[in-house]
Amino acid sequence: MRTSIVVVLAALLALAPSCKKKTTEPTAGSAAVAETGSAMGSAGSAAAPTPPPAPTGPTDPQIAAIVVAANQVDIDAGNLAIKKTKNPEVKKFAELMVTDHTAVNKGAVELVTKLKVTPEETDASKGLVAGGADNRAKLEKLDGAEFDKAYVANEVAYHKAVIGVLTSQLIPSAQNAELKSTLVGVKPAFDAHLEHAEKLQAALEGGGGSAMAGHEM
Amino acid sequence: MKLGLLLVVAAACGSNKPAPKILHVEIRGMKFEPDALAVSVGDTIEWTNQDLVPHSVTSAAFDSKAIAPHATWSYVARTGGDFAYNCTFHPMMVAAIIVR
Repeated sequence: MRTSIVVVLAALLALAPSCKKKTTEPTAGSAAVAETGSAMGSAGSAAAPTPPPAPTGPTDPQIAAIVVAANQVDIDAGNLAIKKTKNPEVKKFAELMVTDHTAVNKGAVELVTKLKVTPEETDASKGLVAGGADNRAKLEKLDGAEFDKAYVANEVAYHKAVIGVLTSQLIPSAQNAELKSTLVGVKPAFDAHLEHAEKLQAALEGGGGSAMAGHEM
Repeated sequence: MKLGLLLVVAAACGSNKPAPKILHVEIRGMKFEPDALAVSVGDTIEWTNQDLVPHSVTSAAFDSKAIAPHATWSYVARTGGDFAYNCTFHPMMVAAIIVR
């Protein structure tokens, strides 16, 4: 169980270095320009404007692929939980995950289609998919309360990881204003999912579902 | 001519009652904005879902069912009272309309 979370986290954390390698390695030409600029600047002459720093995070097509992969992983885990759990609160949560992440993916796909951005897979997006499959394989072997606890614990860890990457990498790196705005706009939904999952986890560890009453209307 | 005068008088008499208004609530960032809205009987409240996920506007008196992203649902306030409502998908989202 923990291994699959680690795989997902590792894939997400690997995102910045892998993308940095692709986007920041200076070419011979750019290095020469940088050196020239620096020399001119130190001489105090009217130097050409300093070029903006090269982007260090994922590109918009890479962000699109990561977003779609992250949502799909949670949709797949949710569908498994709907099939396996006997706990009504866990089932309700899983149904919400499927509904919300499906809707987010639909919106994301519509946006990148409109923007003519073709999602570009990276080690991070592939790692998310592989980690999700690994996680589901492990969950498949569990039943009853053991399954519920493992599924919900994974949801807590997963949403924490996704929110972290969304905040620290995807939102700051997004170049298209509409894509950035969409990422900012979707974060509250993920925050709410995390809060819901944590309450559910506390209820399950307390041995019952009554603690979830505070989450109900 | 007389009929026209009667119509003008009738319209003037009816003008004491304010015309029903349409008021808007945005659903954005997992919140209802505003989260408390005072309206008059006869007013229409329109909720627009600006999030990417579906929401609902649900109380003891009314229920929108699922409002899809970018869709709108409206309700005409027919009776006075305080109506707390939430989103059945995300029950932590709460708000109220006060109908006077």
